[in-house]
Amino acid sequence: MTDASHPMTAGAGIFFDGRVSARRDVRVTLGPRTLQIDDAAGRLLAEWPYDEIESLSAPDTVLRLGRHGNATLERLEIFDPVFAAAVDARATQVDRSGGLQHRQRLAVVGLSVIAVASLLVVAWLGVPALAARIAPLLPVAVERKLGAAVDLQVRNALDTQHAGAAFECGNGAGQAAARAALGRLTGRLETAAALSMPLKFTIVHRKEANAFAIPGGQIYVFEGLIDTARDADELAGVLAHEIGHVAHRDGTRAVLQGAGLSFMFGMLLGDFVGGGAVVLAAKSVLKSSYSRDVEAAADVYGVGLMQKAGGNGAALAAILTRIGGATEPGMKILRDHPDTKARVAVIERLAHGIAGQAMLSPAEWSALRGICKG
Amino acid sequence: MSSCRREPNFKNCRPAARRVIADTAGTDYPLAPMTGLQPSGGSVGGVRFLGARGAYARLLARGAGLLMVTLGLYRFWLMTDVRRFLWSNTEIDGETLEYAGTPLELLIGFLVAVALLVPVYAGFFIAALDLGVFGEMTGAIAFAGLAVLGQYAIYRARRYRLTRTVFRGLRFTQTGSAWVYAFRAVGWWIVTALTFGLAYPFQLASLERYKMRHTRYGTLPGRFAGTGFGLMWRGLPMWLVVMAPLALAVGAFVEVVDWSALTDAVTQTGDDVMGRVEGTNPALGEVVVFAMLMTGLSAVMAALLYPVFQAVVLRWWTSGLRFGAIEARSKLRIRHVYGAYMRFLWWGGLFTIALGVLAIPLLILIGVVAGKLPDSGAGDIAATLIGLGGYVVAALGYSTIYRATVLMSLWQLGAEALQLSGLDLLERVEAAGQASSPLGEGLADALNVGGY
Repeated sequence: MTDASHPMTAGAGIFFDGRVSARRDVRVTLGPRTLQIDDAAGRLLAEWPYDEIESLSAPDTVLRLGRHGNATLERLEIFDPVFAAAVDARATQVDRSGGLQHRQRLAVVGLSVIAVASLLVVAWLGVPALAARIAPLLPVAVERKLGAAVDLQVRNALDTQHAGAAFECGNGAGQAAARAALGRLTGRLETAAALSMPLKFTIVHRKEANAFAIPGGQIYVFEGLIDTARDADELAGVLAHEIGHVAHRDGTRAVLQGAGLSFMFGMLLGDFVGGGAVVLAAKSVLKSSYSRDVEAAADVYGVGLMQKAGGNGAALAAILTRIGGATEPGMKILRDHPDTKARVAVIERLAHGIAGQAMLSPAEWSALRGICKG
Repeated sequence: MSSCRREPNFKNCRPAARRVIADTAGTDYPLAPMTGLQPSGGSVGGVRFLGARGAYARLLARGAGLLMVTLGLYRFWLMTDVRRFLWSNTEIDGETLEYAGTPLELLIGFLVAVALLVPVYAGFFIAALDLGVFGEMTGAIAFAGLAVLGQYAIYRARRYRLTRTVFRGLRFTQTGSAWVYAFRAVGWWIVTALTFGLAYPFQLASLERYKMRHTRYGTLPGRFAGTGFGLMWRGLPMWLVVMAPLALAVGAFVEVVDWSALTDAVTQTGDDVMGRVEGTNPALGEVVVFAMLMTGLSAVMAALLYPVFQAVVLRWWTSGLRFGAIEARSKLRIRHVYGAYMRFLWWGGLFTIALGVLAIPLLILIGVVAGKLPDSGAGDIAATLIGLGGYVVAALGYSTIYRATVLMSLWQLGAEALQLSGLDLLERVEAAGQASSPLGEGLADALNVGGY
């Protein structure tokens, strides 16, 4: 505020010259363009132009002034509120009412909200787009290393009994026929897919009807999925879908997306008490939004692969309907595979009702079903 | 004091010049009585805290709301507001401190720190992909590296705060190497952990000596006069009360359990592990119950004694602070610190009741929403959002109440309990030093080791 008409033109203050810590009682005179500080003997200690005076952090009862851009920390303190108002009226940058600061804070809050919104947009669209561009550029060797690291974590998380090698199915001598049947099924799919990296299928002792792919071509199939499948084509349909994830390098994309989200939400946002929950929620919402498109693409790939391999493209729809209808709470397939009905409809449309031939003979299928038994 | 009114140039007005000025202005101006200056002693003075609890609580509450809206980005502004409030309301010998830092500095420091940390994190991420010994060690190496970096940040952040602290026209400065401090600090933490906390007083004393030896007010050198034994002597009874039940629990295990039989029982294959364990070690159940009781007792004791611990450390620390011939002596009372915790429990309790009252209509709302939107998942999402909002409000609320009661009181009590001697020196300290970069604060924030 600039209002030189304020009547009071002189008052008392306390002055520190910024060179020595001595406290001096001074007389402050408000001239036409400058503020003059005189000591008790009438010597001029300092003369500050009004446009260089800034108000500094102080208790509510004190007006603490300094000179803007001054290397030494000269300080003038005024305790008389009437005289303080007179200084405020002349010095352009001094604003005792707090109106200026209030407006600045509003701008800060506004800008912060805009920054948060733009970061969310980047997280929503930018992170998956970036991950999709980067993932295909990674050499297969890097992806395999990544897969090996992820595999360690996955094994630890899945193998709750810590059974080690016994966690995998089909290693026993009595399961040679089952292994052969599985090899035939996956071999047909792998030949049809003709990927640049070899696939590895591992059947594990888990009751849930689920399967997933991790980076590097490793695909985990749960015992529960084989129990749920009514024929070899249904199992093959799910495997073809997972091979789709490998072909699209979705596992690597997911790792890259996770790293991107962790950076944005772990480092830039959410650093306050209770913010951990917000970050977690935002991450899971964003991840499920990514997964919608990814799953749809894998479905399309899976149907195509099944038809190329000579199987029934619609078998995936059949097993999805059954799993989706009988989901237990907390099951991964429900969380990661939204809108089962819509997916089933798309798959059936893509399959054109071509039944194909059975992927395995009945004898092979019944052998395969025993891979986790005995 | 009436002489002041007659003399135009305010000669002989000290120390009550302010009061007189206010009188002449004819306003009812809330002036601080100058208890900090004792005319008889001259060089002896105290520290006063002028801030009102209500104003501080309002500042924190508004900040908490804005933190929520900005997902934490407001923290640089809130941190600066908090420091401005605490500094400018702390009056030493009749003159208040000034916090000269700005939120933008903190924001820039944070962004620079993030830019420095991203390659570090990326390096760890890539190294973790490497199998073999190095890959497996990555986690441990990262932990050790970040521990050192965290202490480095703490020292640099202290330097930032000190150089932004202005008192009587002079700033505080800090020299010394942050890396030396960081390695010392981590080394001490290891020793403290290995001695079950017994070395903690010596750790505090050593690190504080390093900090204060490199701290200056203008040209006035600081030092720390507290000793590890001084603190240990007061802390040892508390340590014994907390550790004794734990020692008893461990002793009971060693005494009663037949270890070889237990190992056999656990490592044998088969389903009935518990049955075999019970067969070989019939007393194990009782020992486990005893150990749980003792651990519980230890935890209760630790919780009850924590305010005493804080008071003892705070009094010991502030009593050891020296700047040249200026010496501090603290008369902090333990019961006052308990009072601060009582205030936290009281306001926390009221907040809990308020949350409970508000939660009932919200739960009804969730029920209605979930009922109206069956199967679509929208009901689930709405319920999750409401639950999440409730959690954030509760967590931020309790943390704000803690800061407004316990932390604020510790600052105020710690300050007001101080008696300073040798204060006549304050009339002739010379300025020295420059403002430092805010990178340390940014690192501390990015690594979550920040303080006030």
